[in-house]
Amino acid sequence: MGAGALTCLMFVVIALNAIAAAAGLALFAVAIWVAVDGYKLYPISGVSGKDDIFAAAWIAIFTGFAFFLTCIYGIFAALKRSRGFMMVYLIIMFIIFLFECASAITAATNRDYLVGNSNLVKKQMLQYFADSSTQGKQITQTWNRVMEQVECCGADGPSDWIQYNSTFKQMFGSTYIWPLSCCKRLSTFEVEDKEGCMVGKASTIFPKGCFQHIESVLSRYTWAVSWYGFSVLMLVFFTLVIAMIYYMQLE
Amino acid sequence: MKTNTVISLMSLMSIWMWTGEGQIFQPELTSNAFLAKVTSNTVILKQPYCVFNQPCPGCEIWLVAGLCSANGTFDALVNSSTTNILSLSPYPTAFNPSSNNFFLTRVGLLSDFPCNQYPNDRYFVVGADGICSGVNCNGVLPDGSTVCFKYLLIDANRTLINSSNWSGNITLPKLLPLQTIYDGLSARSGAMVVITTILCVAAALLLLLFLIMLCVTCCRPTKKDSKQISVMNSIRIPRYDTHNLKERVHPYDNPAYQSDLKNYSTSSTLPKNGARKL
Repeated sequence: MGAGALTCLMFVVIALNAIAAAAGLALFAVAIWVAVDGYKLYPISGVSGKDDIFAAAWIAIFTGFAFFLTCIYGIFAALKRSRGFMMVYLIIMFIIFLFECASAITAATNRDYLVGNSNLVKKQMLQYFADSSTQGKQITQTWNRVMEQVECCGADGPSDWIQYNSTFKQMFGSTYIWPLSCCKRLSTFEVEDKEGCMVGKASTIFPKGCFQHIESVLSRYTWAVSWYGFSVLMLVFFTLVIAMIYYMQLE
Repeated sequence: MKTNTVISLMSLMSIWMWTGEGQIFQPELTSNAFLAKVTSNTVILKQPYCVFNQPCPGCEIWLVAGLCSANGTFDALVNSSTTNILSLSPYPTAFNPSSNNFFLTRVGLLSDFPCNQYPNDRYFVVGADGICSGVNCNGVLPDGSTVCFKYLLIDANRTLINSSNWSGNITLPKLLPLQTIYDGLSARSGAMVVITTILCVAAALLLLLFLIMLCVTCCRPTKKDSKQISVMNSIRIPRYDTHNLKERVHPYDNPAYQSDLKNYSTSSTLPKNGARKL
């Protein structure tokens, strides 16, 4: 390959590495956002033991930053026109590639277990809401906050509390049909109409279920880690193929 | 004047008769669309407006709530016994296996439910007291049973004046245990399948290309223009015209062989192949 073509290939490798470094840094940032869990829904996945979405986010934090550093090293190795450096670069990138694959696949798979349908979330709510264990307190706090902020009740609707036996029913069933968080409140946080809420008058209770909100938040986390990780991996795949061609053209 | 009074009397009577015809003579479910109208152990009924249309000062309306299978038991007990029917079947033991399977609870004063008012949105919750211990408390019904109701008109002396018809059968839904919810994997989403397959293929492809690259670079025989010199015939021919000679003069060239002038003392006289460059 002529010297001019080799230089051109070197610039292509450098440019792709620069883009991949930026993409890796963005992956790092997005994965931090997921791990921080701004919507505070971690207990729903943590109590059931299916918190791999967050585990995948942690892996993506490390791989994103590693992509960033290794791609900068790759720019340096390409400029040096050294086979040894390029080989080290290729091996490290391949290892990080495998880890990031694991992260993306884990997040996507785990999401199906958690929010494929509303059963798991509903069962967990019925079992742990108003329970006095540690998990019960976390779940109670999470659900109360979700029901009050998103203005919803139960997983699929208030009828969840009527149809199924639950810890809440065992403890408070004689006075309350469903938690007071299901009731509409005034701006002073007082319940607007407690009696009307307890019979299920439509204007005093939140009739929709909370599952849609929970599903959309967890899906948002998953797609951030999984689809964005996938796109970074496709870019890195292309970069590595070009880097391998460059390696073969070096002396 | 007379016709006016007659007309007003007629209209009043017709209104009274109309309300009399519209009078429900049995307990009914509330017409409101409450979400908790019928739960596994409570029921929401209409308030007993205009059920008993007779004047009865100090009378109260009471409700009999029990399994529909106990309708006959209650009617027989009422007909036969003259004792205080209100304590016939106290709530705490009402639904025990060998008990009467009904209980009585107070709804309100007859005067609170006059016939000229007919608010349809008022309701009465059967089971509002939860699991209670009073003789006539408004306790919850048995889970998932079929229940019937009846209104009674009781006077101040606790004697039965009148009773309504039995309501229709109301079947309470059975409470489902939460273990019946299956929380296993429902279905795999398409996105998950796409991501998994494409990433696995990409990783495998990358490994393959990596191995091919290693094979090609390490094991390929060299075909490049090498700067190696193959020493076949190492002929060393000294040059005698390096000193004190100008470029043009070649004294060792035999002028007779003009055509070969250039062939003998320059590097062109040396053999082209296999010579070692000095």
